[in-house]
Order: sequence, then C-alpha cells, then structure tokens
Amino acid sequence: MGLNDPQWGKRKGNSSPPDLDDVLRNISKRINELFGRKGGGDDGPEGESPKKHSSGNIIVIIVLLSIVWAASGLYIVDEGQRGVVLRFGKHVDTTQAGLNWHIPYPIERVENVNVSQVRTIEIGYRNNVRSKVLKESLMLTDDENIIDIQFAVQYILNNPENFLFNNREPDNAVLQIAETAIREVIGKSKMDFVLYEGREAVAARATEIMQTILDRYRIGITISRVTMQNAQPPEQVQAAFDDAVKAGQDRERQRNEGQAYANDVIPRARGAAARLLEEAGGYQQRVISSAEGDVSRFEKIFVEYSKAPVVTRDRLYLDMMQQVLSNTSKILIDQKSGSNLLYLPLDKLMQTDGVASKPSVTTTPTQIAPEVPDVSTRTRESFRTREREVR
Amino acid sequence: MGKLSSILSVIVAVLVLISTSALFIVDEREQAILFQLGEVVDVKTSPGLYFKIPVAQNVRYFDSRILTLDTEEPERFITSEKKNVLVDFFVKWRIVDVRQYYISVRGDEALARTRLAQTVNSSMRDEFGNRTVHEVVSGERDRIMEIMRQKANVDAKKIGVEVVDVRLKRVDLPQEVSESVYRRMEAERKRVANELRSTGAAEAEKIRADADRQREVILAEAYREAQTIMGEGDGQAAAIYAGTFEKSPEFYTFYRSLEAYKKSFKDKQDMLVLEPSSEFFKYLNNPENSSANKK
Repeated sequence: MGLNDPQWGKRKGNSSPPDLDDVLRNISKRINELFGRKGGGDDGPEGESPKKHSSGNIIVIIVLLSIVWAASGLYIVDEGQRGVVLRFGKHVDTTQAGLNWHIPYPIERVENVNVSQVRTIEIGYRNNVRSKVLKESLMLTDDENIIDIQFAVQYILNNPENFLFNNREPDNAVLQIAETAIREVIGKSKMDFVLYEGREAVAARATEIMQTILDRYRIGITISRVTMQNAQPPEQVQAAFDDAVKAGQDRERQRNEGQAYANDVIPRARGAAARLLEEAGGYQQRVISSAEGDVSRFEKIFVEYSKAPVVTRDRLYLDMMQQVLSNTSKILIDQKSGSNLLYLPLDKLMQTDGVASKPSVTTTPTQIAPEVPDVSTRTRESFRTREREVR
Repeated sequence: MGKLSSILSVIVAVLVLISTSALFIVDEREQAILFQLGEVVDVKTSPGLYFKIPVAQNVRYFDSRILTLDTEEPERFITSEKKNVLVDFFVKWRIVDVRQYYISVRGDEALARTRLAQTVNSSMRDEFGNRTVHEVVSGERDRIMEIMRQKANVDAKKIGVEVVDVRLKRVDLPQEVSESVYRRMEAERKRVANELRSTGAAEAEKIRADADRQREVILAEAYREAQTIMGEGDGQAAAIYAGTFEKSPEFYTFYRSLEAYKKSFKDKQDMLVLEPSSEFFKYLNNPENSSANKK
C-alpha cells in the first residue's frame, strides 16, 4: 500500500540516492497521463482553478493537504523486488528497485513482489530429511515397487505480473505440480534406476515436466533446481536392501580372498620351480665335473699302468686288499668247501663289535684275479646258488 | 470562513459518496457482473474503473485466476484387474463465462468445485476400470490425465468454467496390498543377495582352482626342465667316461672294481668270511711258494 510514509533515510543497499528530478518528472508525467485520459478522475484537487478568494488560508490548507496526499504516493522498492502498479485495478507499470512514486490512493496501488529470492518447497519431508511425510514420500515405481523419496524444489519468479494475477495461491500450486511431476517420473522408472544410477536423470526429467506445467498455467515461475535429498527403499524393507548391498561387498571380499590365495600360491610355485631348475643345473655341473675328475685321475694312473702293467696291477690289488681287510671284521676259515659241519654264529660274532648286524659277505676267492665279492643285498641269493652248485 | 469550510466538507462527503456508490473497480484478478435489480446487465472482464447507477445497480466479483480443486483424501478406484488403488488428484480450473457460471452455480465456488469433482471422479472411474495398475501408474498416466481434462471440460462448459488441467498426484496401493509388495520386494532382495554371495563363492573358488592349476603346471614344467637338464648332465658325464675308458676297458674294470671294493668294505660291521686259498693269502700258507699255489 502506498499509504505508509516513505522513510527517506532508510535505503537498503548502497544504491545511489534517489534522483529527485526523476521522481518529479515521473509525478508530472503521471498527472498528465491521468488527465490526458478524458479526465476520468474529477476528485483531484489540481482540477480546481483557485478563485481569487479572500480566505487564502483555505487554499493553503488545501495545498498542504494535496501535498501530503501526493507525498503518500512515494514508495520504496527494495533491491530484488519489483513494484507492480495497478491503476484502478488495472496493471499499468512494473517498477524497479529504488524510490518511486505512484498516483496516491485510491487511484493507484502498488504491490511489491520479491523476484530475486529463491523459494524452496519440500516434498516428502519438512525442515529436516529425518522428519518424513510418508504420504508424500512413498511412491510406486514402474516395476510396482514402492520407494521412499524426498526432494526439494527451488524456484524463482520470472514474471511478477503473472505471479500475481494468473493463479490463486501460486506457491501452493508449485507444491502440487512438484508432486504430480515427480510421481509421474518415478511411475515411469524402474526402482533400481531411481535408487542407484538414475537420480540425476529423475531430477532433470521432473524439472522438465514441472516447467512445462508451470508455463501452461502462466504462473510466472521458473524452476531453478530439483534436488533429490534422499531416495531409498521403505523402512519395512530397508534391512533386506542393506543385506543385498552387503552381499555385494561379500562377493567382492570373497573374490579378493581367492585372489589373495592365488597371489600366495603362484609365486611360491614359481619359486619352487626355480629351485628345481637351479638344483638340476647344479646336479648337471656336479655330474660332469666329477666325471671329468674321475676321468683325469684314471688317465693319470693309466699312463703309469701302461708302462708297467703287471707290477702296477699287483700293487693296486694288494693295496686294496690291505685297505679292505684292515677296515673290516674278518674270519679266516681253512677248510675244504662242501663241508656243512661248520657252524658260524655270525650274529654272535657281530655283536662282539657291539654294532647292529649287517648281512655278511662270504667270498670264495679262488682265482688270482680278484673276484668281485657280492654286494650285501645280493649275498643271500648268491649264497644259495653257490650251495646248489655244491650239491 | 466557517461557511466555506462546511461547504467544502459537504462537497468532499458527496464526492466520497459518489465514488463509493457510483464507481467500482475491477482488479486484474477478477471479473465482475453488474446487476440491476437482480438481473444481469453487464459483465466486466477486463480490469479498470467502471461506473454504475447507485442503489439500483450492484456488483459481484468473481475470481478470474486459475483456481485449484485439490482432493483432501485419496479415493479408492478399481482397476481392470479388480485391484484397488488410492488416487488423489487436483484440477486446475478457471471461470471463463461469468454469466453462465453465475446462472448455473449461483456463483458459488464450493458448488462449482463439487460439480467438477463429481465429473472428474466419474470419468476417472471409467478410465481406471479399463486399465491395469501398471498402465495407470506408468504406461498411460499422461493419457488418462489428458482424457479426463477433455471429458471434464465438456461438462465444465455448462457451468461457464474451463478446466485447465487435471493431474494425478498419488496413485498408490492400499495399505494391505502395500504390505504384500514389501514382502515381494524383500524376497527379491534376498534372492539378489543370495545370488551375489553364491556367485562370489563360485568366483573365489574359480580363482583358487585356477591358481592351483597354474601351480601344478609350473611345477610340472619345471620338473620336466630339471630332468632334462640332469639327463644332459648324465649324458655328458657318460660320454666323458666312455671317451676315456674305451682306451682300456680291461684295466678300467679292474681299477674301478678295486675302488668299489674299497668303498664297499670299509668298516667293522662288514664281516668277511675268507678261505686262505685265495691269491692274497698264498704267502700266508706257504711262504716258500713263489708262484701261486695251483690247485
């Protein structure tokens, strides 16, 4: 209303002081306009041509009154607001921030509208995401699941006249439109899409639908943002959903454990393989080297042997016999072969040495050539064959 | 002076009286009907200042903005598969023909709303009855809304009203059905969870088995390699031996046998039972015998 006195000193912001010339020009323009139109209002005091009357003080009063009346038309539009001026209910002008003047009541009225303020409405909750409004937040999805969704809509005015004149309770309308739009989008989307990867897409689609409807109502509002605060399964099934998420992590864990096992086993196997190869290589070297060693030793002795075969041969034989006989236990029996009367308590004899018995070796070396005594494991067999031969 | 001021005040009073009773203002947001003794004489649809005859004529104002009919409580509708759904909707409407509006609903907004609600409700019943829940919720939501807007408009015209929009808000299942939906969702999640866990186990097992296989392969290949290497060594050694011992096999066996005897009989555990008839003992029995004792 223009009736409130303008507060000259209280200007918000650091806008330049009001340009009085502008204001005055505005005033005269308005008055001319008013009377340019077939003199619709005959209740303006300017209409009276002052007569040469003796009572000047009445004139003064009238002038004063009209000055006060005119001053009541001054009004301030704050930064971020617009003043919508109505002359006899008809919209004639929309003024910017600053000091303005309108033809005072009852001819013109001004309604201030805040256009820069971002307004917010909340769907599915109030003030805090935890205080849910279930009847707003539970919705059916395309695959006939129910989800619990909270979101906020931010909007600004883009046209103060439309905002004022075209809809009753425009802010309320935004709420209704938001609800219908989001439910339409959710109703056409699959649950998993909404819950996980599709949040952005859902919000964007809802914004689009809302804007379309708002434009159709010519409501003078632009949706600036739709934010999904929360999209989750309803309380009743939350546990099952959490468990499914956990299961996913379990799967990951199991995989990692398997991988860990693999990472343990395979390098070890490689290590073992490397050891095998190294050992084989070592063996190869050893065998070759010892062969070479043996060979060179033999060659040395063979050279000497070639020079004096008989002597060398005998010497070698005797050396061997001496070494063998000096290191072993032995029994010398002088008897003709074939006599079975002889009994040798071999085990007893062995025990005198205080060592565990090993199968003994019998030899019947009859020729000059050193007969090879059988190796222990074969002694018994050879024994028997010999016995048979004897019989 | 007193006279003049009294005259002035009278003039002002008359002016005020005239301005209040002979003039009326129609705002941007409204339309007005001018009545003369209860009869409609004029309709003012555009805003501004208008003149009327005092006393004989009076004015009624009607809202020209888009109005809302919003159902408070959701209503039950039955779909084609005989399921109940709870639906709430809102209708955006506007008075376009004030005269008609006044005649048909006496300008009573509540009455107009009731009538609109009935119309929309009945057409909604038809639409829902022909469709499944799924179609209502997702497939044909916008079509239903469009159809209902058109249907509602036909009837709304009769009362001088235009239906700008009919929009479904909630299309939900009743509580008892919701419960079963929750149970189904739960079962589905359980299935997913089990599947995840078992595939996890399977994959882990696969990875382990693969690791084991690799181990076997690595070891086996290494064994093959190692045996080959060792065999090469053996082969080379044999070649070396043969190359040399070929020169005198007889002496080699002799020499080698001596080595073997030494190695075989080397400690007290080895018991030798000997006959003194061997070459070695020839001097033991017969010191004179220079040559071997021939049997």
